[in-house]
Amino acid sequence: MKRIFCVVLLLFMFIGVVSAQNIAKKKRPLPYEYGEVIINNYSEKAGLAPVVFDHWLHRAKYTCRLCHVDIGFAMKAGVTAIKASDNIRGYYCGACHNGKTAADNKRIFDSCSQTIGPEEKTMCLRCHSLGKNITPEHDFNRVTANFPKGRFGNGIDWEKAEAEGLIKPIDFLEGISIKRQPLSIQKDFALEAKIEGMPDIIFSHKKHTVWNGCELCHPEIFAGVKKGTAKYSMSEIFEGKYCGVCHTSVAFPLIDCQRCHSKPVQ
Amino acid sequence: MRKIITVFFWFVAAVTVSSITQWSWERALMWPGIANAQEDWKNEFEHVCSKTQDAMALSADQLRNLVARCDKLKPQIEKLDETQRKVYLKRLQLCRDLLFFVLESKEKK
Repeated sequence: MKRIFCVVLLLFMFIGVVSAQNIAKKKRPLPYEYGEVIINNYSEKAGLAPVVFDHWLHRAKYTCRLCHVDIGFAMKAGVTAIKASDNIRGYYCGACHNGKTAADNKRIFDSCSQTIGPEEKTMCLRCHSLGKNITPEHDFNRVTANFPKGRFGNGIDWEKAEAEGLIKPIDFLEGISIKRQPLSIQKDFALEAKIEGMPDIIFSHKKHTVWNGCELCHPEIFAGVKKGTAKYSMSEIFEGKYCGVCHTSVAFPLIDCQRCHSKPVQ
Repeated sequence: MRKIITVFFWFVAAVTVSSITQWSWERALMWPGIANAQEDWKNEFEHVCSKTQDAMALSADQLRNLVARCDKLKPQIEKLDETQRKVYLKRLQLCRDLLFFVLESKEKK
């Protein structure tokens, strides 16, 4: 009996050590890596390295809505299946990366080309850069040096950066976006936390609609029609559902509990 | 003679359009007609989907009408070339789903 007990104990210890090692292997991305998307639907088949998309750089210049609603990028990596021909015709990346559109008084480089000579090959490497030793034109540390610091994710408080006027995300692209009425200001509301003692969530509808519009979240991510009828569990959110669609990959991560659970406990 | 010149210019225009837009020959030859049709669906798309920002302020009837217009637009967009079809079907879907979502929330109130 004693032997069996020892064997079971050893087995549990072994499982514990193995799982602890696996957890340790999941390293947290570095600030400049957070939000990075690797796009490889057709790249390698075309003899090019997969595309490394830096969310941090693009979110500093454009709203989420502009890219994910007006330009039509899906919310999941690889789902859009962007082709070079789409970019050449001025869609997806080509909506801005067309050699004509400007950002910060500088022309944005052309994304894809019909003819690939030695000169164009160097250009391709600006995006098709996975595994290549490319020095990026926009260095994360240099660009974000003056931005207010955040605790996790990119290590930047993007919301504060916008409030302080350090970033001014563009929400309209000529020839792509539709002219609309300005969005009416949405009211913030509180969501009750399930665990006793945990501060309730103050959901800032205003902040979210300014960057996302309405159709990016409703109904695809949040299908509940009436407030309070849908229940969201943290395990589902950590799996990438609901708030987790953005707050596990691009927006500040879920480990920054106090950013959402912010209502003082009575 | 005039007819020949017209056909020649039509042909040159088709070649130019085909090379710029990467359309097929048949499509490029029907270019003027397509351009008009394109304007029609795009205008309708822009008109309908410009309402998403103030959807909450619309009545149920207005929303129902907009959803119906989205449904009518879909087959027209499905006829477009691959890239446009992919982009605009996604955009139309987002727009239609939101309008329907707001309509549902109004009806459930």
